[in-house]
Formats: sequence, structure tokens, C-alpha cells
Amino acid sequence: MSYIKEVLGARELLSNLVLREVRGQYKRTIFGRLWSLVSPLASMLVYTFVFSFVFKVQPAKGDPSGLDVYAVWLLCGLLPWTFFANAVSSGMGSLVANAGLITKVYFPRLVLPVSAVFSVAYNWLFEMLILVLAILLVGGFVWPWLPFVVLMMVVLALFAAGIALLLSIANVYFRDTQYLLSIILQIWMYMTPIVYPITLVANQSARIGGLLGTPVTILDIYTLNPMLHFVEVFRTLLYDNTWPEVSDVVACVIWAVVAVVLGVWAFSRKEKRLAELL
Amino acid sequence: MTEIAVDVSHVSKKFRLYHERNQSLKSAVMRRRVSVHEDFWALQDVSFEVPTGSTFGLIGSNGSGKSTLLKCLAKILYPEQGSISARGKVAAMLEVGSGFHPELSGRENIYLNGSILGMGRKEIDRKFESIVDFSGVENFIDQPVKNYSSGMYVRLGFSVAISVDPDVLVVDEVLSVGDADFQKKCQDKFSEFRAQGKTVILVSHSLDTVTRMCDHAAWLQNGHLRTVGEALDTVDAYKASL
Repeated sequence: MSYIKEVLGARELLSNLVLREVRGQYKRTIFGRLWSLVSPLASMLVYTFVFSFVFKVQPAKGDPSGLDVYAVWLLCGLLPWTFFANAVSSGMGSLVANAGLITKVYFPRLVLPVSAVFSVAYNWLFEMLILVLAILLVGGFVWPWLPFVVLMMVVLALFAAGIALLLSIANVYFRDTQYLLSIILQIWMYMTPIVYPITLVANQSARIGGLLGTPVTILDIYTLNPMLHFVEVFRTLLYDNTWPEVSDVVACVIWAVVAVVLGVWAFSRKEKRLAELL
Repeated sequence: MTEIAVDVSHVSKKFRLYHERNQSLKSAVMRRRVSVHEDFWALQDVSFEVPTGSTFGLIGSNGSGKSTLLKCLAKILYPEQGSISARGKVAAMLEVGSGFHPELSGRENIYLNGSILGMGRKEIDRKFESIVDFSGVENFIDQPVKNYSSGMYVRLGFSVAISVDPDVLVVDEVLSVGDADFQKKCQDKFSEFRAQGKTVILVSHSLDTVTRMCDHAAWLQNGHLRTVGEALDTVDAYKASL
């Protein structure tokens, strides 16, 4: 309990560290914060060219919104994913990157990975704003669902923070974690229905049926992926403009809670030895 | 009986000396172990009390465990055995200016570093003037600190650290920063501290500094406490052993 109290007491430190990241990030660049929008924009162009133009992937029309723009459909899933991937990787590296601070000053170490996640979230907020503008521009009616979108953004940030806490500790013990993570994230992205609709997987899964004589299908295994539920929820809210499946929302919340509890537990156990290990 | 500011009781701290350390998964798996190590006790069963309002020196040769003890006092390291309890707020100055962001201005860094050291925004607002004043970098406060000279950098870091206003101040040999003028200022600040009845714990190699500033001292040798008591007696005992 006293641990939680101490972390809560470090709120100002947290916000200052986030500011340090946010302000320091684009110093000495001409375009400044615009750079944070360039990378998702570039991915959007590439994926739209490859998957929509070349491979002719056709996601279902937004129901009931009636939207039929691949690029927008893609971004509804891609932006939450890139946030998650960036937040986890920068949170993971935060302890090693701040080794100088950890070995010289006492403060609750938990704020380091958490502030890394927050500063990535700050950029994500801008990206999502632009996305909402784009949706409005192509004729989506997204206003009523925005509060719920924000709520789900918080849930995803919690999920990312939990994973980042776990990995940041792992990275102190084994520096392999950072290299492993970049490969896992790459595979993970394509295992999540971001650039293609889940219906394609469902079709294949139905064609093949139960694996190895069991009733377990490919789709069953595929849906174990927590990010799938997040992507579905964001897409339903933003692209379809309707309420998401309750089961998806529940899955997101459960995953987030599990990640945070595990992350904080592991972190608080190892926190005291960090100065020695680094 | 005087009041006790810091109670160090039976503190032992163990480090691992690695003969082989596998920080990559491959080597850990191939060698089927994370490390081969032996234990090294940097501190063994050290106990002493620091009276409130005293200036307490820690002396000893290199590798005697002074810095380890200081880091334990600063809550950066945690002892394997024993405990350290302190009354009131403890602040440690092991390195100044750690956590400065080179691209941010002096002003922004004061707020950043202040909050790392545990100060709230309002508290820093209140002390801002005196911090800038003490550091003597008024004219450059809105410049990025990467453009600071190393002296300015350290002075600003020191000024933030000293403004934490703790009940117990733990200081490593950072007194030797800055020019003579700034050193004088630091000395005055420490005297002011003592005058306010606050406790200072100081690690120094300079026996001169210890005899001049401290009233109590402890002498560590190879992780064991040799003597503790009046500063002069302790320093004499230490000198006699050299």
C-alpha cells in the first residue's frame, strides 16, 4: 500500500519527465512535432498501396457508417497498434537509458517506464485527432463515440504500461530483450487484423476446420491475441460508428488489468536491486 | 541524551563479484547459468548513530565501503541485512546535475531536477529565485544547458540539490566543485545548515575538511567499522593507522 502511495506522490515527477521527453524530442528540427505525424502517414501510404491497390484487400463497408476508404479503415487499427509498439519499446528501454539517474538519485523507479509510455501517448493523441478529422471529412459520424474512444485509449495505455514494466525489468537482466522485442512486434503486427480484415482469417479457418482432429480452429488461436480486441474496438467505434462487442471490450479490460498487476508486481519486487544491476 | 537523526543498525551489504556474467540469453542458455560469482561483503555489521544537528564524517581509504554506505543512506542501494532509519527527510547529493536534459533550458531543468529530488512545483516556484541566485547563472537561465560551461552546469545542479532543504543531508565529495568563490558559498551554506540544527553526513578523502567541518566521524576499513565518535579522535586513529 505504501508503495502505491509513494508512486502516487511522484505525480509531478512523472509529468516533468513526460515534459522532458516531449519537449526534448523534436528540438533542433525544422518541422518539430510534425515529424510525429510523418511516420504513420508514410506507413499509411505504403500499406494502402500494397494491400489495397496491389493485393486488393477489401474490408467490409463501415456498418452503419457506410464508409469505404481503405486508408481510413487502416489507420483506425494502425494508430493504436503503433502507439502500443512504440510505447512498449520505449518503456522497455527506459531503465537502461536512465541508468545514470537510477544509480545516483533515489525516486520511485516506476515513473521511468510509465513516463516513457505517457510521452508516446502524447504523440498518439495528436495522431488520433487528425484521424478523427479525416473520418469527419470522409463522412463518418463519430462524435457520440469519442468519449468511449478516449476511455479505450486509456485502457490500451494501461495495457502497454503493464507490458513495458515487465519488459523493462527483463531488459535490465538480458539486453537481448530489446532485439527480441522488435522481431516479436513485427510478427505480432501481422498476426493482428490491422492491414487486412479478420474475415479473411475466419474464411480460411472455416475452410480448414479443426486442427489435428480437435475442434480448435485457427481462428480460436488467432483470437487469443489481446491486440486483436483493441483493434476491433477502435475500428468499430471510429470506422463503423457503433457500439463494439461487449466481449471485445471485456477482453481489453481484462488484459489491461492483468498486464498492470503483473507489471507492477514484478517491478516492485526487482526495483530495489536496479541500481546494482545496471 | 541527544536525539538520533540516523540510526544505522547492523548493516551488511553484499555485492557479487562476477567471474562470468551472461547478460545475453544465448550465453545464459549455452552455459546453463546466468552467472558465476562469489560474494563480496562491502559492508559488514556496521552500526552507529548520528546525533541530530551534528555534522558527521565518514572516512576510510579507497574501497573501505564509504560510498556503499552512503548509497545505502540515500536509498539507492538496499542492505542485505540490518536497517537504516532516519528521522525526517533525507536528501542525498552523490552527483549533481544528474537528470539534466542537455537540450532543455536551465529554467526547465531546475523544475525537472527539482522534481526528481522530490520537490513539488509550488515549492520550486517559491525557491526558484534563490536557486538561480545561488548558482550565479542568471543570464543564461533560458539557454539550453548543453551550452553551459561545466562549472555552470555543476553549480546549477548543486544549487537545485541544496535547495531541497532536508532534515538530513548526505553528501559525497561534491564540495570540490566550482571556483573558490562558489566553494566559499557552499561552505557558508553548510554552516547555515548546521546552524539550523540539521544533520549533515559527509564522505570525504580530505581529512582537513573532516576535521574542519565535522564534529563526529566514523572510520571504515574493509567494510568494517573501526571507530566512531568525536571527529578529532577518529581522524587521529585513522592517521595513526596509515
